[in-house]
Amino acid sequence: MNHKTSPVTALRRTAVYVVLVAGALVSLIPFYWMAVAGTHTSDELFHSPPPFLPGGALLHNLMGLQRSIGFGRVLLNSLGIALVYTVLSSLLSAMCGYGLAKYRFRGRGLLLGVVLATMMIPLQVLLVPLFQMMSSLGWIDTYQAVVLPFLANSFGILLMRQSFLDFPDEILESARIDGAGELRTFYLVVIPTARPQLAALMVYTFMAQWNSFIWPLLMLNTQDKYTVPVALNTLTGLTHVDYAGLMLGSLLATLPLLALFLVFQRQFVAGLLGGALKG
Amino acid sequence: MRDRDVGSTSRRQVLATALSGGALLAVGATGCATGGGAHPKAKPLTTASGAAPKGKITIWSWDVAAKAMTRLGKSFEQSHPGTTVKVVDIGYDNAYDKITVGLGAGSGLPDVITVEGYKLPSYIAAYPDGLVDITDRAARYRTSFSQAAWATVTDTRGHAFALPWDSGPCGLFHRTDYFRRAGVDPGELTTWDRFIQAGVTIKARTGHRLLVMDSREDTTLSMLLQQQGQGWFKDGRVAVDTPAAVRALTLMKQLVDRGLVDFENGWDGLVSATHDGKTATTPTAAWWDGTLTSEMPDLKGRFGVVPLPAFTDGGVQTSNSGGSTLAVTSQSKNPELAWTFMEFLLADPANQASMLHQEGLFPAYLPALKDPSLNDPDPYYAGSQKTMALFAGLVRDIPPVRYTGDDAKAGDIMNTAVNKVLHNGADPAGVLHSAARQIAAATGRKLAG
Repeated sequence: MNHKTSPVTALRRTAVYVVLVAGALVSLIPFYWMAVAGTHTSDELFHSPPPFLPGGALLHNLMGLQRSIGFGRVLLNSLGIALVYTVLSSLLSAMCGYGLAKYRFRGRGLLLGVVLATMMIPLQVLLVPLFQMMSSLGWIDTYQAVVLPFLANSFGILLMRQSFLDFPDEILESARIDGAGELRTFYLVVIPTARPQLAALMVYTFMAQWNSFIWPLLMLNTQDKYTVPVALNTLTGLTHVDYAGLMLGSLLATLPLLALFLVFQRQFVAGLLGGALKG
Repeated sequence: MRDRDVGSTSRRQVLATALSGGALLAVGATGCATGGGAHPKAKPLTTASGAAPKGKITIWSWDVAAKAMTRLGKSFEQSHPGTTVKVVDIGYDNAYDKITVGLGAGSGLPDVITVEGYKLPSYIAAYPDGLVDITDRAARYRTSFSQAAWATVTDTRGHAFALPWDSGPCGLFHRTDYFRRAGVDPGELTTWDRFIQAGVTIKARTGHRLLVMDSREDTTLSMLLQQQGQGWFKDGRVAVDTPAAVRALTLMKQLVDRGLVDFENGWDGLVSATHDGKTATTPTAAWWDGTLTSEMPDLKGRFGVVPLPAFTDGGVQTSNSGGSTLAVTSQSKNPELAWTFMEFLLADPANQASMLHQEGLFPAYLPALKDPSLNDPDPYYAGSQKTMALFAGLVRDIPPVRYTGDDAKAGDIMNTAVNKVLHNGADPAGVLHSAARQIAAATGRKLAG
C-alpha cells in the first residue's frame, strides 16, 4: 500500500492548488473590502492608501443605517417578501411543472412553448404595462404588487417539469388505484421525490427576490415599506454618498444569502445537475 | 448635475429606450381598455380660488433636498392648518426611472416631483400632458429667479412647468497653500490663458497638477460652453462647432498637452483626488462646498474661492452646473395645495436662505441672496473667506442656456468627441465639426451658423 506520488504529479497538484487559492483570494477580496469599508467612517475611506484592516466605526455605521433608512424594518420587509414569494412561487412552479410533465391534454406542447417563450421577454418591456395594471388595481405601494406579478416563474416551471418527467407513471397509477386524489398524490407521493430540485429552486427564487431591485423600486413609495436594495439605493445622493453605510448595508444584506446557500449547498448543486442529467 | 457612474447611466439609458417602446404599447392598450385614461389632460393652474387649500400632498425627492422639504414641510403644516406634506426620499440614482415609468403609465406619481433643470425639457417634450402648466401662477416670479434657472423651467413658448429651486453658480475652488508655495496670486487668474500659465508655474514649483477632468464622461466642456452662453444647442440649432465651442475644447486640450490635467474616474475619483491634494484647483459649482465640508473636514483652512477665469479680459466669470426644480404632476389630486407649498418653499427669501445654510442648496431665487447671513465669514476656508457672498454675486451673471429634449443624445456623441481630443490628441475643430454633423443627423436639427 505504498502508492508514492511521482514528483511530476505532486508538482502538478501544487500548481493547481496555487491557482485555486489565488482564485479564491480574488473572489474574497470584494467581501473583505466590504467588511473593512463598513467598519470605517466615509471620510476615512478616502485616505490614501485606503485602510486595509477593519476599523472601529461598526456601531456608528450601524446606528447611522438604522437612523437614515430604518435598516431593521427594511431587513424584515425583504425577508418577509422573499419568504412569501419563495414558498408561493416554488409551489406554483412544482404544480405547473408536474402538470406539464405528467398530464396529457390538448395544447400541452403549445403551452410549454408559451412558457419557454416568456423567458425571452426582457423585464424592461413589461415594466410600463405591469405598472399600469398594478396602478388600476390600486396596488401601488403594496407588498402584493411586489410579489404577485412574478409568481409564475418560467425557469422554475421548466426545472420542475424536467425533474418530474422521469417520475414513473406506475407509481402514480398505483396511488390512484389505492384511492388517493390528484392533490394527495401530488403532495404525498410526488413532491417528496423532488426534494433536491425543489430545494435548489427555493434557493434560486429566494436569491432572485432578495436581490430584486427595479420592480420593488417602482412599486414601493413609502420608506418603511422599502426592501433592502431599494433602501440602500437611497444612500446614494446627488452630491453626497454614504459609502460606509452602503458597504455595511450590502455586507449585512449578503449574510442571509450566504447562510441560505451554505445550508442548502448540497441540494442546490445536486438539484441543478440532477435536472440537467435526467433531462 | 454631476454625471453619475457609467454603470447606472447605461442602465438608465437601456431603461429609457425600452420604455419609449413600452410606453407606446401601454398607451395603446389602456386606450382601448379604459378609454384613454393613460394621460390625464394637464389642467393649467389658473387664477387662485381664494380659499386656503387643505388636504395632503406627497413629494418625491432625494438626499439634502428631501431633508430640506421635510424640515420646512413641518413649518408649512403649522402655518397652514389642515394640510399634510409627505416627503419621500426615493434616492437620486434611480429617481428618473420611477418618474419616467410614472409619466409613461400616466399613474403612480405623487403630487410634486423634483427634477433637475437640465432634465426637465426632455420630460416636457416626451410627456406634454404629464406636468401641470403653471404659467399663470409663476409668471409674476419671472424676474425674481435667475434668468439661467428660469430658462430651464420654461419651454420655447415661454410656458412654465416648474419652479426653479437651487442653482449652481461656478467659481474656482483652489488650494491656497499650493498657490502661496508657488508664489502665484489666485486673484490674478482672470482669464483662462493666465490660468494655464499659473498651472505651469504651480506644477514646476510644487509638483501638483492644476485640475481634475473625468477620464470617461467629461463635464468640463459643458461648463465652458455655458460660460459662453450656449449648450450643445443654441436657439434650437446644433452649436457644438461654434467658435466658442472650438475655443473651449482647445483650452482643454492645451491643459492636457501641458500635463496639467489629472484624469480621474467619475465623481468618486474627483472626491478622492481632491482629498489627496493631487490638484491645485477645482472649477465647479457652489455646492462643491458641501462635499468639501462633509467629506474633507481635515483640509479645513486650505481652500479658497475666486470667480471662474474668463475667455477674454472682462468676460463672464462664471457658469452653471446643476440646479433642481419642483413640478406639479397632472396626476395630482390637489394641485392647489402643491402650488401653495412650492410657493412657500421656493419664493420665500427666509426659507431659501435657511436651505442654503442648513442643506447647502444655493438659491436660484434672487431676493434670498440679499439675506445678511450670506455675508457671514466661513471658517472652513482660508482666512474665513465669505464664499457664499462671492457666489451670490455671480448668480446674476450666469448666461442662460436652453436645454432641449435632444441633450442626452447630443451628450453621448460629444462625449466620444471630447475623449478623442483629450486622449488621442485629435484636432478640436475637426472633431467638433464631424460631431456637429452627427448630432444634426441624429436629431434632425439644423446646424447653427
